[in-house]
Amino acid sequence: MELLITMIANFLATDGALLGAGIAALTGIGAGVGMGIATGKAVEATARQPEAVGKIRTMLMIGLAFAETTAIYGLLVSILLIFVS
Amino acid sequence: MPNLSAQLLAIDFSGLRDEIFPDTENHVIEAGWFVVNDSVFSGFIVVVALLLVALILRLTVIRKWKTTPSPVQMFLEWLVSFFDKSADEMTERYSGIMGPYTLGAAAYICCGVLIEMFGLRPAIADLGACLALALCTFLFIHTLGFASNKARRFKHYLNPINIVSDLAVPVSMTFRLFGSILSGMVIMEMVYILVEGIWFVGLPLVLPAILTPLFTLFHAFIQSYVFASLTLTFVQEATEKIPKKEGRRKRPKPEKAAV
Repeated sequence: MELLITMIANFLATDGALLGAGIAALTGIGAGVGMGIATGKAVEATARQPEAVGKIRTMLMIGLAFAETTAIYGLLVSILLIFVS
Repeated sequence: MPNLSAQLLAIDFSGLRDEIFPDTENHVIEAGWFVVNDSVFSGFIVVVALLLVALILRLTVIRKWKTTPSPVQMFLEWLVSFFDKSADEMTERYSGIMGPYTLGAAAYICCGVLIEMFGLRPAIADLGACLALALCTFLFIHTLGFASNKARRFKHYLNPINIVSDLAVPVSMTFRLFGSILSGMVIMEMVYILVEGIWFVGLPLVLPAILTPLFTLFHAFIQSYVFASLTLTFVQEATEKIPKKEGRRKRPKPEKAAV
């Protein structure tokens, strides 16, 4: 029993950080889906109303920046887990 | 290619940590009380370069301003009017302040990332630089918000969620900028280490030439544009006129209207 606990503790202390980095990088899934939906809707809006393309582009850029933020947080956490430990 | 796998196995990634998060012993420039790290030093270079370019343009191109413009004048007019126009659209009354501020911040971010191409550490790949830019934006948002709405802006803080979301703005701007620039830098450092290890089929010539524009040039322009437009959006949100309480008096009472 004691051996098992020691093994788990060792694992969490060394390879656990790398496992956590892999899990943290999964934030890319959500951000990718969200950005895809946003871009698709922007294309639809442009097709429906081509004269509003400037306004749509600005809104799309801001929306993409917000959606991208979560992915960047995940990436930053995984970089920190790999290199700072 | 029998040798490729042996070359790939021989690549040593242990220097990567030191490139990304440099230690405080070898990467600090020290002269008496003047102690800075690499990022701050390249930030100084960027500031000096931007000031010199501005001075040269002021003394040469702007002095000979013509109605039939030269290419440099066309570019300058396009650049300035791009930021001025977007500031005009978003923050109508304060575009005189916000246009120059967004142009300056975007120029600093763009050149601070592009200095990576000269082999220095990017000026923005440091948490302090990002925090300083985000705090500038925070200051602009709240100063202009109070200047626009005076005491009526305090009504905005009656809902405590608004305080939290206001405080989250500089934090999210800091980490967005820092994370994206750092990730671009990590990828480029990995490519450089990879290319050092593989020395045949001309790969060291071709691969960085393709990837540098993707991860450095593209990143620099996108991030500076995103920073400028997010600043304008937040300022627009803060300077929106809050309506006065006049509607209640003018509206006829429902009982009288019914009778």
